[in-house]
Amino acid sequence: MSAVATQAAIVRGPAWLARLRHRPVWLGVLGVAALIVVAAAGVMLGTVPVAPADTIAILGHRLVGIPQIVTWPASAETIVWELRLPRVLMALSVGAGLSLAGVALQGLLRNPLADPYVLGTASGAALGAAIGILVPVQFALLGFGLVHVLAFLGALGAVAVVYRVSRLGGLSSLSSVLLTGYAIGSLLAAGLAITMYLSGQNLRQIFFYLLGSFSLASWPQIAIGLPIIVIGAAILLTRARALNALMLGEETAAHLGLDVRRERLVLLATASLVTAAAVAMAGLIGFVGLVVPHVVRLVAGPNARSLLPLSAIWGAAFLIVADLIARLPGELPVGVITGVIGAPFFLLVLRRYRGGYEL
Amino acid sequence: MRQTSPAALKFFAAVVLVAACAGAPPATSTSPPAARPTPVSVPSPTGAPTAAPLTLVDDEGTTTTLPGVPATVVSLTPATTELIFALGAGDKLRGRTDQDDYPAQASALPVVATFEGVHLEDVVGIAPDLVVAGGNNFTHADDIARLRGLGIPVIVVYAANTDGVLADIELVGKAVGEDQAATGIVGAIQARIDEVTAAVAGLDRPRTFYEIGYEPDIYGPAPESFVADMVNLAGGDPITTTDPAVYSISLEQLVTADPRVIVLGDAPYGTCPDSVASRAGWTGMTAVQDGNIRPVDDIVVTRPGPRLGEGLAALALAIHPEADIATPTAGTDYCPTL
Repeated sequence: MSAVATQAAIVRGPAWLARLRHRPVWLGVLGVAALIVVAAAGVMLGTVPVAPADTIAILGHRLVGIPQIVTWPASAETIVWELRLPRVLMALSVGAGLSLAGVALQGLLRNPLADPYVLGTASGAALGAAIGILVPVQFALLGFGLVHVLAFLGALGAVAVVYRVSRLGGLSSLSSVLLTGYAIGSLLAAGLAITMYLSGQNLRQIFFYLLGSFSLASWPQIAIGLPIIVIGAAILLTRARALNALMLGEETAAHLGLDVRRERLVLLATASLVTAAAVAMAGLIGFVGLVVPHVVRLVAGPNARSLLPLSAIWGAAFLIVADLIARLPGELPVGVITGVIGAPFFLLVLRRYRGGYEL
Repeated sequence: MRQTSPAALKFFAAVVLVAACAGAPPATSTSPPAARPTPVSVPSPTGAPTAAPLTLVDDEGTTTTLPGVPATVVSLTPATTELIFALGAGDKLRGRTDQDDYPAQASALPVVATFEGVHLEDVVGIAPDLVVAGGNNFTHADDIARLRGLGIPVIVVYAANTDGVLADIELVGKAVGEDQAATGIVGAIQARIDEVTAAVAGLDRPRTFYEIGYEPDIYGPAPESFVADMVNLAGGDPITTTDPAVYSISLEQLVTADPRVIVLGDAPYGTCPDSVASRAGWTGMTAVQDGNIRPVDDIVVTRPGPRLGEGLAALALAIHPEADIATPTAGTDYCPTL
């Protein structure tokens, strides 16, 4: 259970990886390099071929205003600038955000099965989105419709209710928080099931929302969603000390001088805000927030100081790749891809580090 | 409501220029000066035969003005794809959905939309002069908004009844520059409707259940739906679900309604009359006892396209086998042993 035992348990695997583990900076550098490569691939590749030279010229032209002789068709510029780049940026921000929220909630709840959706956010967002799809009010502001707004509010509302209910009697036990989250989540899921049953023609839209997708990513959505995730991520990145202390148990953390109640609120609120922004933009994309923190923990160790930034970087890269795989054969739901490629990879990593670790 | 952003205007201007300079798809145009997106206002090019602006009002009331008759079209519903081929404008089509199965030439077109939605990148890559989408969320409303936001003209067609289908045929005919062909198709369908109406006018109107699907629930027409309208026209008294938004009907309701005729729209999916008689709870219905269970091809009967007249004739013959109606050319070739 202690950090020392955890460290000892995971020192396995190939020698070069063992060396890397003691140099998390290199894992970060490697991650940033991988992120740049997959982001470039995400902008270069798609179902419509655009010459790499044209792609670079379009980006140079639009990003830094390099004067260019336009040699590409107008459609290529629309594809690269209006479709692919917002998609890649959205996958990047959602991947980083969900991974950070996963780290925060796993650390806070000290439960390996915790993910960004564990405290009712998923059901709350899904129910909100489903209601938004069914309400016959057409409302769109800067690329965000009623669906996005209600998903965002639904996710935050669900967590707020869980927090209020489980707080009964002061500092509640972790298992009671988790079980409250499960109960509220189940209640909302039942509401979602009823809504889906009554949705008739609109069932398809709700169904695909539940699977997650970046296919409607646009600049206005990035302009609103990205700042929320960036601010939330920045706050979470500063909570490393609190997460490290909480790993020792809340009592010990309190003895170390940590204001457990306050940290709990900050971590929960920020993780929920980031998760809500992510689900509002892209729907329910599972697996990223659960598994990326675990893989990083297995490779780099449980120190939150490296775990937080590494999870953000690798989560972003993973989701960009998953989205690329999802759209190349013609728009599969990205939430399916994250599971299909993520689960076997996770099993492989688990096997390699058979010793595992305890949260 | 229509796009007015600078990016959209640029794109629009590019489409005007390219369409005027060459009949080739804009995406592969070989004239770089024309393809350069410039924010200048584009005067109507002189000398082009199809340069007269074309104004279309679609079924959602949205007005779309095209610089001329489109040279390239993407169709996002099976009915409009079928219709555009029937209008003789199939050579303008550059994309379809994975459901567009008729006529056979349609399957050669690239699929740019599936059940999940429109593949935006593919459509933008095609850069069509016009996209014909389906209303009532057949084409995802978000996808339509996004296409328009990217400067691609979209008209939305949705017909709630047979009159609406005829109006849509005129609309799509105008959109692809085949007004006369559209008038011809509408006339032929109207003649067939008149023939069927006359043939069933003197006959009784049996309570008819049009089965859209059997599993997991029993699916039938909703009140005031297109299918219910078709059954009415075909001389039947449609048994419908309880609400326009509900598509399933309970067995209890169906037994209470006691259909005298059951039309199996799900015959193409393997449901045949002999299997109906063996369903638990169905044996008491008059239709089952009298053996008045007949298969039709759901696609021809319910698809709001150019084969509508044949579909109606097939449906009328399923309800009134004795009616004096010319044998339909499509829609009846299921469960041949009966």
